[in-house]
Amino acid sequence: MNAIAFLHGLSLASYLAAGGLVAGSLAAGRSTVLRGAVGLITLAVVAHGIGIALYVMDFGELPLVGLAASCSSLAFLIGASLLAAALLREIRPLALVLIPIIALLLATAITLGIAPSGASSPFRGVWFAAHVVLAFVGYACLAVAFAAGLLYLLQFRALKVKKFGRTFRFLPPLETLDKVRQRVLLTGLPALTFALALGWAWTVRFQNSLAAQNPQVIWGVVTWLVFVAALFSRRRGGERFAAAASVAGFIVVVLAYVALRVSMANGQVFL
Amino acid sequence: MPLTLIGLSHHTAPLEVRERFAAEVQAGRYSVAAVRELSGLREVVLLSTCNRTEQYLVTDHVLEHNALVALLPQPPGIDPAQLTSFTYVRYERAAVEHLFRVVSSLDSMMLGESQIQGQVRSAYLSALELQREHKVIGPILSRLFESALAVGGRVRAETHLGDGAASIPSAAVELAGKIFGPLRGRHAIVLGTGEMSELAVECLSAQGVRTSIVSRTAGRARELASRALNGAAVSVDELAALLPSADIIVTATAAPHAVITQSMIERILPKGPAQPLLIVDLALPRDVEPEVGQLRNVFLYNLDDLHQVIEGTLEKRRAELPFAEAIIRDGAGEYWNWYRALEVVPVIRELRERAEQMRAQETARALRALPHLREEDRAAVDALTRQLLAKLLHQPTIRLREAAATGRNAEIVEVARFLFELESPNGDETNA
Repeated sequence: MNAIAFLHGLSLASYLAAGGLVAGSLAAGRSTVLRGAVGLITLAVVAHGIGIALYVMDFGELPLVGLAASCSSLAFLIGASLLAAALLREIRPLALVLIPIIALLLATAITLGIAPSGASSPFRGVWFAAHVVLAFVGYACLAVAFAAGLLYLLQFRALKVKKFGRTFRFLPPLETLDKVRQRVLLTGLPALTFALALGWAWTVRFQNSLAAQNPQVIWGVVTWLVFVAALFSRRRGGERFAAAASVAGFIVVVLAYVALRVSMANGQVFL
Repeated sequence: MPLTLIGLSHHTAPLEVRERFAAEVQAGRYSVAAVRELSGLREVVLLSTCNRTEQYLVTDHVLEHNALVALLPQPPGIDPAQLTSFTYVRYERAAVEHLFRVVSSLDSMMLGESQIQGQVRSAYLSALELQREHKVIGPILSRLFESALAVGGRVRAETHLGDGAASIPSAAVELAGKIFGPLRGRHAIVLGTGEMSELAVECLSAQGVRTSIVSRTAGRARELASRALNGAAVSVDELAALLPSADIIVTATAAPHAVITQSMIERILPKGPAQPLLIVDLALPRDVEPEVGQLRNVFLYNLDDLHQVIEGTLEKRRAELPFAEAIIRDGAGEYWNWYRALEVVPVIRELRERAEQMRAQETARALRALPHLREEDRAAVDALTRQLLAKLLHQPTIRLREAAATGRNAEIVEVARFLFELESPNGDETNA
């Protein structure tokens, strides 16, 4: 096992251990997540970060091309968002949703082998890096919005049906979850918009075409529409509707990815 | 010097008895200093709250239950003969553990309440204040109360015994917190000016909530508003205009019918509240139509729902009991070891004095036989003998303290006196 794979494994193990502690807090009906979980999340993010740094040193590029590398980068960004959330005591329960997502991405990356895909694409360099990193920031924000939206719906239900049990005590207040959801969407939408604009500008400038049939373009546009819908649904339907829109939107984005990948022609590069 | 507790509490005495004891102490008709003056008493601390009156004592000899009852306040209207049945007595370690349980609120009427820590601290501080003139407290009770307060602090910090809401108004505030997060700056409308409304205003005010108090009796509403932080008295006619700005509505009127109906909310807020709206109905019969709770973004809770929150809290607190008990056992064990070790302190002191006297005599004799030594050499010899003595006595001192802590103090003290020819407690020289 090389150092990059080892560090990814260490990160995955730390996330799983942190997830166990968070689940333990929920099972015990405690209103706070143990500090030990925050320590483990920190260890996971640091190990993952070092793993990515070694990847850059070994291969001379960011892990942005290929499914394994992309899963690793996306998991790192979601993990960093989770760490930022974990430092604010009140929203640590977000880990309950985000850790399984991160673990799935990391497990995929480790299983496929974390190495450059070898696929050649003319779209490389700084423009490409900025495009992909901004897009990943957008997707990471969508994952956090999904987590906050899901917890909002659970807490809303607990309050509405008057079930004042462990879930009620463990989950953060509705307004806090709504603020987190709204703020990450407001951060993610400009990031994704810039990413799409960079990709579009490069394609028009160097390939003189819009590449509207490209699965990545379709996926990017679907995600952008989901962002807009999730953000503006709050104005029309209130907090609960917006939370539901964030959850549904994330599921739509994941399903769209799977559908596009399945229908993709041979030889096409899509993450 | 037995450590003794005599007391009565909600476990053993009815309210009418407890309140008479509390009143007797509050009125200043009972003097701890006077009790301390009685022969055979070395230290006294009185703990008096609405739920308990307890006296912690260090006495020369073990006192029986009846003799201890005579040391308590004697409120008029209670037959002294009856007092024995209302009171309990604890000796030695049981007394220590009792105080540690009391300060940690394990013995309180409401498990996990926080007031008792302050009440125990006040009792201790009062004793310290009396100490200047009357010497009511000494090292045993000082250390006992300091240890108890430290254990109480640990229980609060290391367990979740104090978490959650355990009263109706605080349950309402907990629900509000789960909806809105921090409540500072939120707006609450309180309908009614009765006792429940008053408690709700106090609780909300403490969280920084702006309160508008609505009542048909303007004077009482103004009085309540003046006591609240950011409070305002509002007439019933202004209620409709006020509702759209409310985050929280608390109702506790004596009206025989619903004062907030579904149609009223729908008329005032045709699209429903844009933000969540919490309505807490503390009235019986209820002030709010149950259908209001089905409106979008409206969370309606009545007294039964709040009791459910409290029961959940208490259940959670009860689950913390084993952790709290473990901390109490630790603290009580630590104190007990220190307390038992006190009995060997005179022996240790005597042993060290005796050894130092011998060392000084023998060193002086040796130095007289060595007149050629320079001053610094003489000092070195003196230091050497001191170090030797310190090293020799170090282990016996530790062993004596350890033996005392494990309850073998009487036996080990006897052996130490015999081996080192120390004075016996009654002043006789032990024969070798």
